[in-house]
Amino acid sequence: MIAGIMPQAEFVHWWFATGFLMLGLVLFAEALVGPEVWGMRPWRTYIWPGLCFVMGILMWPVMTFFTNSAIHMVAHGSWAEVLMLCGAAELGVARGKLHSQYWRLTSSLALIVSGTAFLVHEQNHWLFARAAFLHHTLGWTALVFAAFPLMLALRPRSMFAASGFATFFIVLAVLLYCDRDVAPIFGHLSQFAGPPHR
Amino acid sequence: MRRALLLVALAALALPASAFAHASLKKETPAYGQELAVSPRQIVLQFDQTVQALPKSIQVLTPDGKNLAGSPRAVTSQRELVASLPRLPTGPYTIRWQAISNDGHIVSGVYTFGVRVKAPPVTSAVGAQGPTHTEDIVRWLYFVALALVVGGLGFRLLIVRGPLPPRAERRFFWVTGIGAVSLLQVGILTFLLRGEDMLQLPFGLFWYGDLSPLANGTRFGQTFIAMTLGFVLVTAFLYLSWLLDIVWPLRVAFALGLFFASGLSLSGHSAADAGHSWVSELADWVHLTAAMLWVGGLVMLLAVIWPAAPELRRTAFLRFSRLATVLVACLLAAGTYLSVLRFPNVHDLWTTGYGHVLLIKLSLVALALLWGAAHHFVAAPRLAAGDSGTFVGKLSRSMLGESAVAMAVLLAAAFLVNTNPPPQPTPRAPVAAHAARR
Repeated sequence: MIAGIMPQAEFVHWWFATGFLMLGLVLFAEALVGPEVWGMRPWRTYIWPGLCFVMGILMWPVMTFFTNSAIHMVAHGSWAEVLMLCGAAELGVARGKLHSQYWRLTSSLALIVSGTAFLVHEQNHWLFARAAFLHHTLGWTALVFAAFPLMLALRPRSMFAASGFATFFIVLAVLLYCDRDVAPIFGHLSQFAGPPHR
Repeated sequence: MRRALLLVALAALALPASAFAHASLKKETPAYGQELAVSPRQIVLQFDQTVQALPKSIQVLTPDGKNLAGSPRAVTSQRELVASLPRLPTGPYTIRWQAISNDGHIVSGVYTFGVRVKAPPVTSAVGAQGPTHTEDIVRWLYFVALALVVGGLGFRLLIVRGPLPPRAERRFFWVTGIGAVSLLQVGILTFLLRGEDMLQLPFGLFWYGDLSPLANGTRFGQTFIAMTLGFVLVTAFLYLSWLLDIVWPLRVAFALGLFFASGLSLSGHSAADAGHSWVSELADWVHLTAAMLWVGGLVMLLAVIWPAAPELRRTAFLRFSRLATVLVACLLAAGTYLSVLRFPNVHDLWTTGYGHVLLIKLSLVALALLWGAAHHFVAAPRLAAGDSGTFVGKLSRSMLGESAVAMAVLLAAAFLVNTNPPPQPTPRAPVAAHAARR
């Protein structure tokens, strides 16, 4: 029964890519206008952490329903947890329940865990296939960009750090949009893409 | 920055379009769990992308472990693995399969079917192993985490109904929060360990093993899905209550916690063994819930009220003592009913492994009850009379002792859950029974 109502994996990836794109755009907007202007409407400060937290909750069904390999299950579970953790900590800071700026380090931790999950679950080298290339790219992007929230925890007003953090989500969204075959949804569009696999 | 971003996007889009994930089994013939009227001629495994066959890509195993499958080959644009079969006699069969995925990983899986008999659950596949002691310990951790969440929430809503001092409130959220997060982690670990028992693969290959027959085809798997998603919601409501300083999400979290805890009752002995009914499932849920509220309440008294809200010690202890009496009554009534149901003969108590574990559990329960009775009949009246000073310190240590015994009871319960109860006597046919009476 569940198999009949489950969306295709391609759609799930694209939905999450859309979520990350929205996260990135909101963070970019905040970085551009600065935290003071952004905070003039208090609800704005809750947008990205709230979205992050909700995306974490929505990642759990992905973990539980896509169990065709243990490594995918663990990887999706770790992404669900760090998304919730990162969103929860940032919401706590925005609400004034958490006072230390260092709670923002959870964003850095989230990126490190996510990146490691991507790299650990890819055992092939970079150019083995698009799959391997994207896993490595996603993993290293997350690890490298983890420096930006770290910087943001130390220098909360740094526009460079805030823009870098926002850029991560946009890059992540682009990579996620690309990471699934379009063939199962749109058919095999071109022979230039090699022989059809699916 | 924009130029770099554009380049990354173009590079990713321009790469050849091979699949992202490992190959997944889309369809299998015969299907998982199918009971066939006639022997199948071949096994067909259909994947969502191209695969390569290995020498033992498909094994069709009899209950004694003999492989009956012919040499496997990849067909239909390399997306199907096919192996021929001789005529299979009546009986249950296990299929263990392996294939090299498009991305180079070896994907594996196992499932079962039956010829003129019911297919066994995948956890009873040929080569699968029963729960290990590691799983007993993990199950115990699951019970402890459940007690922290459900018992903690119950304590907060039923015992300390009003506002808590800020320090105690913080401690309450820490304790229940740790319980909620641990519950999710330990739940995943439990599922993976059961998957490992089923697949019986080396560590490296296990990570690419197909766990979907376990998740979708067993009560255990369906419970895992429901309880994981349910307790994610419990965690979210708990967090919402902390964030917004409001109580109603706690009530929702408590109700959800009680509801989803029933997953254990709906997938355990009370739901699967001979003689089960909705009454046995309900009794199991009452037993479990009473135990969680009792153990969780004790922990809350010790970890929250005693160190962080001294002004509430007396009220909380007296109220909890009254609630504990009801909980113990429920615990004993449901436990006695379930024991009678699972033990067809009294001597099974000392002649079977399940009986031995139950005897240990009962001894620990008796010790905990004696301890609780001492608190109820000796400590509570003294506390109600306003006795304090060194007595409060002694009571704290005494509660620590009771909690330790309660944890030991949960450990025994974890062993019990993973042990098979004694077999029920098979009902005699009416004619034979009549003849025997004569």
